[in-house]
Order: sequence, then structure tokens, then C-alpha cells
Amino acid sequence: MARERARAVSRVLAGDRPRPLAALVLALTLVAGGFAVWAGQDWYRAAHDDRAAYAAQRDEALAAGEQAVQNLNTLDHRDLQHGLDLWESSTTGELHEQLVSGRAEFAEQVEKAKTVTTARVLSGAVTELDDRAGRARVLIALRVTVKASDGAASEKDSRMLGELTRTKGQWRLSALGQAPVGGASAG
Amino acid sequence: MSTTRHHINRQRRRQAREIRPAAASAASAASVSSSSPSSSTPTTGPATEETTDRRASTATVTTTATVTADERTTDSREQPTDAREQPTRARPRRPTALVVLCALTVLLGGFAGWAHAKAQALRDDPARRNTALTDLARTSEIKGQTAKAVDRLFSYDHTDPDALGEAAGELLTGKAVDQHRDLLADVRQRADEQKAVITTTVTESAVERIDGDRARVLVYADQSSVGTAGNQAAPGGSKEATEDEGVYAGAMLAVDVVHRDGRWLVSGIDTFGR
Repeated sequence: MARERARAVSRVLAGDRPRPLAALVLALTLVAGGFAVWAGQDWYRAAHDDRAAYAAQRDEALAAGEQAVQNLNTLDHRDLQHGLDLWESSTTGELHEQLVSGRAEFAEQVEKAKTVTTARVLSGAVTELDDRAGRARVLIALRVTVKASDGAASEKDSRMLGELTRTKGQWRLSALGQAPVGGASAG
Repeated sequence: MSTTRHHINRQRRRQAREIRPAAASAASAASVSSSSPSSSTPTTGPATEETTDRRASTATVTTTATVTADERTTDSREQPTDAREQPTRARPRRPTALVVLCALTVLLGGFAGWAHAKAQALRDDPARRNTALTDLARTSEIKGQTAKAVDRLFSYDHTDPDALGEAAGELLTGKAVDQHRDLLADVRQRADEQKAVITTTVTESAVERIDGDRARVLVYADQSSVGTAGNQAAPGGSKEATEDEGVYAGAMLAVDVVHRDGRWLVSGIDTFGR
């Protein structure tokens, strides 16, 4: 093969017998080879891009954060235990401990108030992401609807700030609060 | 591959035609065979030379008719691959090399196309297209400029009413112009009545998505309204406190921005239906 090619090349270069077809085919092969090398490298680089993994973690953290915040703002007094189980499974760390320790008391309150709370995530975004440490901060705009026992519903928007921690490959909420209004003067 | 074979055949025929006059004048088959391309390669067997000779000599008899006849015969000879086994081995190896080169070209080209498609598919992944946080410099640039824009666009001082219009002209584009006017018409009127100063400060912001020249930012802002006419009201509509320091209200909005002439302009304001 190589010898053939070399012979063809030498023949073309020598010019004693012009063989335009051989030269053309050879040129095409070389061009195709160049493209193949370039495309292969391009593919390799695209497949081993660090930012892709980071982007995937960001989206995963946000999805988990939105779901967790929604879970923690959803509670039906008729299905209390299931709702509170969901609260616990969505959280980790200190927040999780708080929820577990305050569960009985909280359940009693909701039982008495007979409220149905539902939440809808309006928008969410990640502000910080530490891929290695498995920590993320998210902003989640939430609309909470509380239906009282008499059927009257009230809507309220919440500006949530959440902190997520990755445990066993899963992002869970480790802190949750509302963005303070008016800084110090509003108290 | 058959097209290449046709190519080779046509080339050979052309060469045979070129040497025809010479063959006619010399009236000898030997001169034809010596100038035929196949004779120059050492691998050529005597059988091939004979066939080329015969073909060349018959070609001298008739001219145009032979070309078509020749084409037909070569074509029919090329069709059955198994039957051709013998003459191929006897003939020069150049066609084989060309065939291999062609195959290689097709293979390499095919791989190039496939690899390119793969790379493109990876890049088109929505998660990767969104460069929020993955492109930190751009993310913080967008955050900074959006926060500044929101501060200016939602602040109003009744003593300097033109500042708002100026800000709108500089920072808004597209449908955001109308959205901004609708949002602030009420606020402006009330502020003028109460001789109030409304100050908006972005407290938190996060970039949801960056897709090339477009981005969406979630913004939390505080609005304070300080009136000098007695009773104050927050621009959000809640009238609760009436202290002299003013009223604070928290707002949240999602802002679409576009990159134009090196700056990020607000192209859409989403107040989530409030």
C-alpha cells in the first residue's frame, strides 16, 4: 500500500507520465485524512470538557433545590405524615435535624389549623456552586397558596434562599430561608 | 467504485486514441505496446500486452464506431467481478491502489463526518449550552450590569423626573420598553403626588441561563420610598408603615438581557404576574 502510494507520488512528481486521476484521488485521501484527524480531536475535546460536568451538576443542584423548596412549602393536613416524610427526605444536615425534632409539634399545629398549603416555583437559579465540596446556593422565587379550613385561599410570594449539600450523590436542602426585606431598618 | 473504473477505462481509451495515428503510420503493433502505459510497469504480464495490442489494432480500423463498441465491451467486461478475477491479477496494480485510496477516502471522510456530528450533539446539549456559572467572567458581568440596570430603572426621584427616562433610553430594548413604562407609570404618578424618592436596591441576583448573547437573571430587590409630603406608600402598593425613614418592600423579578455593543441591555421584565 505505502509502496504503491510512494510510487504514485513519485510518478506524479516526476511528471513523466501525468496521472491526474491518481493525484486527485491521493489529494482527496489526504484531505479526508486531515478532516478525520480534526473531527476526531474535536469530538474528544467535546467529550472531555470539564465545563460539561460542572454544567450538569449545576442543573442537577437547581432541579433538586426547586423540588425540595416546593416540597417544604407543600403540606396537606389530610395527608400530614406523607407530606412530612417528604420534607425529611428532601433535606439534610441541620435543617433535616430541625424538621425531625419539630415534627410532632408542627404536625399538631397544622392538624388544628386544617390548612392546605401548595407551592409553585416561579423561577430559580444557582448563585454559587462548589462542585468538589458538593455545596450550592440557590435563589428560588416561590408562590405559596394557603387554603384555610373555611376554603378561603391566600397567595403569597416568597423569595427563598436555599443552601444545598450533596450527600451520596444526591443534592439535598441543608438550609432554607427568606431573603430579608429592607436590610436592617425593616427589622 | 464503478465510476472510478469507468474513469480508468476512459483514460486508457484516450491514451489508445492518442497513439492511434502513430500506430497507423508505423503499421506495427510493437510501437503501440511500447507507448501504452501498461508496458512501463514491470508487473505487466504478456497476456495484457496482447489484449491491449489487439484492442489498439482493431481501433485503427474504425474510428468513431470502435469507441462505442469498445466502451460496450469494456463495460461488459467490468460488470461480473468474479469473471474479471484473472485479468485483474494480470493487469497493472495501479487500479487496485486507486481503489484502496478511494476506499480510504470514503472511510476517513465518513469518520470525519460522524465524529463531527458526535461533537456537535455534545455541544448542543442544553445543559452545556447554558453557560451560567460555567463561564464565571460572563456570569458576574451579567449579574453586575443587570443589578445596576434594575437599580436605575426602578428608582425615581420626583425632583429629577428626567433621570428615569434617560435610564430607560439607555438600558432598555425591545418589549421591555413598554413593560417598563407600564410598570412605572403608576409609581411615577404617586411619587410625584407625594414628592417621594423611590430607591431600588438589588439585594440578591442569580443568572438562570446564558445562551450566547441572551441571558435571564433572577433578581431580588428592595424598594424604599421616602416621602416628603406627609403620607408615604411603597411602590409595591402595600401601605403599612408611615415612618419618616420610608417604606420597604421586597420585590422579585426575572430580567431578560441581551448583549449589544459590549453592554447588556434589558429586553424583558417578568414580574411573575404581579
